[in-house]
Amino acid sequence: MDSMLLLESAINGALVGLMYSLVALGIVLIYKSSSVPNLAQGSMTMLAAYIVLAFANNAGAPLWLAIVLTIVTMFGIGVGIERVALRRLAGRPIIMILMMTLGLEIFLRAGSMTIWGGTSRPMPLGISDAPLFLGPLLINRAYAVGAAVAIALFVLLVLFFRTRIGVVLRAISDDYTAAWSVGISVERGVALSWALSAVVATIAGVLWGSVQGVDQSLAQLLLKGVTVAVLGGLDSIGGALLAGVLLGIVEGLASIVLDPLLGGASRDLVDAAMLILTIMLRPHGLFGRHDIERV
Amino acid sequence: MLFRQAGIFHTDYAADRALFPIPADRWMIVILLVLALAAPLYMNTLYLSSYMLPWLVWTAAALGLNLILGWAGQFHLGYAAVMGIGAYSAVHAQRAGIPWEIAIVLAGLMAAAIGSVFAFAALRVKGLYLALSTLALQFVMDWTISHVPAISGGTQATLQAPDIRLLGWPVTSDAGLFYVALVWCILVTTFMLNLRRTALGRALVAVREKDYAAAVIGVNSFYFKLVAFATSSFIAGVSGAVLIGTFYHAVTPEQFSVDISIQALAMVIVGGLGSIIGSYFGAAFILLMPGLMNAFISWLAAQFGFSLGIETLAHLPHALYGALIIGFLLIEPLGLGKIYGNIRDYLLVWPFGYVKK
Amino acid sequence: MSEPIAAKVLSLNNVEVVYDHVSLAIKGVSIDVPVGGMVALLGANGSGKSTTLKSISGLLAAERGEVRRGEVQFLGRSIGGLMPQDRVKLGIAHVLEGRRVFEHLTPDENLIAASAVRSRNDMARNKDRVYSYFPRLHERRTVASGYLSGGEQQMLAIGRALMTQPKLLMLDEPSLGLAPFLVAEIFQILSRINREEGLSVLLVEQNAIAALEIVSHGYLIESGRIVMHDAADALKRNPDIQEFYLGGTDNKNFRDIKHYRRRKRWLT
Repeated sequence: MDSMLLLESAINGALVGLMYSLVALGIVLIYKSSSVPNLAQGSMTMLAAYIVLAFANNAGAPLWLAIVLTIVTMFGIGVGIERVALRRLAGRPIIMILMMTLGLEIFLRAGSMTIWGGTSRPMPLGISDAPLFLGPLLINRAYAVGAAVAIALFVLLVLFFRTRIGVVLRAISDDYTAAWSVGISVERGVALSWALSAVVATIAGVLWGSVQGVDQSLAQLLLKGVTVAVLGGLDSIGGALLAGVLLGIVEGLASIVLDPLLGGASRDLVDAAMLILTIMLRPHGLFGRHDIERV
Repeated sequence: MLFRQAGIFHTDYAADRALFPIPADRWMIVILLVLALAAPLYMNTLYLSSYMLPWLVWTAAALGLNLILGWAGQFHLGYAAVMGIGAYSAVHAQRAGIPWEIAIVLAGLMAAAIGSVFAFAALRVKGLYLALSTLALQFVMDWTISHVPAISGGTQATLQAPDIRLLGWPVTSDAGLFYVALVWCILVTTFMLNLRRTALGRALVAVREKDYAAAVIGVNSFYFKLVAFATSSFIAGVSGAVLIGTFYHAVTPEQFSVDISIQALAMVIVGGLGSIIGSYFGAAFILLMPGLMNAFISWLAAQFGFSLGIETLAHLPHALYGALIIGFLLIEPLGLGKIYGNIRDYLLVWPFGYVKK
Repeated sequence: MSEPIAAKVLSLNNVEVVYDHVSLAIKGVSIDVPVGGMVALLGANGSGKSTTLKSISGLLAAERGEVRRGEVQFLGRSIGGLMPQDRVKLGIAHVLEGRRVFEHLTPDENLIAASAVRSRNDMARNKDRVYSYFPRLHERRTVASGYLSGGEQQMLAIGRALMTQPKLLMLDEPSLGLAPFLVAEIFQILSRINREEGLSVLLVEQNAIAALEIVSHGYLIESGRIVMHDAADALKRNPDIQEFYLGGTDNKNFRDIKHYRRRKRWLT
């Protein structure tokens, strides 16, 4: 096998992986600030992409304006989700909260499909199809842009969690009752985390939409996002980034090595296997926090 | 009223711990059984074979999931895959010439064997991580079923299921198939009803409440988790096989995809965690809701004079059923079973306001 | 026994709390805390001490509890319908039972998180104040709080409460699981804060010996009812208190004790 080909798919894989991190970052953002695992991140990504197109195509706004408007809209939707769906579940068993985000996932996904239908639509972001040349290697331009945005977002989020609000959000995720006891408005904090995560979903939706079109497949990014988030450690922003790169490379190589052997579509299998292996061997992921048990 | 506690005095423990300590319940069960047995006489075949039959089979399946989710408290997002294992095992066994009665038992055993893999995940992790790993296992099994030609009969293939024969007699009439489903559903229900009176049932509940604490009082939590997963997988496997044998008559991987797992989960949540009668309600609700909703929405649309696209009609029920899950979690987290229980409790002591607990 | 009316920071009047719409936790509880005073609420496990504190700090809602009857007044104002954060803003701080520090945050971040209702300038000043009371926290300010010792965690929990600039500090069993010398140290710091800043303190304790050393008044709660109220010295001398809470000196027959308790419960 050609080592150049392997290297090329590893690099492109890493870039795709960084784009998976975009979805994972949304999950991490919510988990880190409220300990809620958000299984609706994929459909939020899809919903955001559809809203961008609705602003751009139906309302005739220029794309940049459509994106800005969508960010505002999604911020509101995030706040709304907390208000309607999660506030009453605070402090309930995890099984209820998981079911709730699963219900949200189904509702948002099928709801978008109901409104906009299943046909794939393009997201004309204006990134040219021509590849970048890195020496003799061909690099996908759209992936490179997505990866750069993911890294920028990573830096922003790391800085955010160092601010006073960021510290407050982390405190909420540690202990709801204790947060209430020192005057933290837990509801508002959780709402903020959902809102920010919805904004991240918008960014992911736009970038992924430009790569593979806007349709139901955007919601299926959930599996990638969850795998990356768990592999990185659910509350680690840096972990999400690194795990994305790792998963991307493994997937890229697997599609070259395994596809001929297994008859294609080995990517999904690799995802599922990575997820299972991570959970079985290292449930807290690469950099996740451990539950502190002091004797 | 229907349920009265007044005048009922149990004079020994056996009577107090009977399956249905209140005569009204016993009467209701008898009436329902008679109604069910006589269903082919008064119901037209369309209702019988396209509503009653899948409802019964899905109720059995939902009860199996309830065993894991409601009683043992373990998350299971790969239930449909286990049903699929049973379905494929039964069809292959049948095609190899094994009689159907034995084939479905084999299907159950196969499903129990593979389904127990989930128990090993449950041994290692809990809560969120268990949910995710069972979800991943669902994907792996989906992938295996659809990508191994020896199982699926080639990619994108549909495998025809041979007709059912019981003790050499072919069962092909709608009524016959209905009775097969009915018997299976009654079997599972009886098992579940009795389970909560056994040591196994109590141990499962102990593990659900706090597996650590259960271990401290001498409940081997791993053993019971394994038993719970194996039993529930057996029920899932047989239900999958019965579903194929009596309803679909052919098996494809899509019949047991992750969406179906979520649908089964929705049945249990809507019906009520740990509630047996709730599983009946939940299965009925989730199965019937899309059709009813579509009919209702088409009617509404017709009334107001605008037409809805086919695509809208295809996706709207899904959106509604997502909304239903959300709604139930918010309003009555213990589902329809709990609502039924509340009504029953109210009637038990009517006209007084308080329930003796 | 009764305080002058004007000088009360906190006043509970006949408060009744019900959990889950059905289970009655406390009934007819009336407590006054004078401005700048230090008051103890003593009682055994499950007698309703924590519930009383939660009814004041507004944390009942999270546990499906509600104040059914009676009134909670803070500085002469009824605070019944307020959210927890609004009560903190008014100046009520609640140090939870079992410390409950934000384990994955450092002590420094714990203090930052606790000043959500205060301005940035206040935060800096409060932090200096907390570190001056608890120098040990300053030494360990960069370690994850989950790894602090029990005493340090308790100090952090108190420091965290001080960050909200309270007028009333309520502590739920600060002595729980701590060595006697640590209890003494923490109680000393508490009475120093009380003295120097005039901060009113409501102390919930099972450790009656230590608590009665530093407070001026004490209430005794049993099965959700206040059964006794007196000055600390009087309580210390009271034979019943000595019997049940201070480890009585003479060995009494257990049958008599049970009988006595049953009678005592219905005294008020």
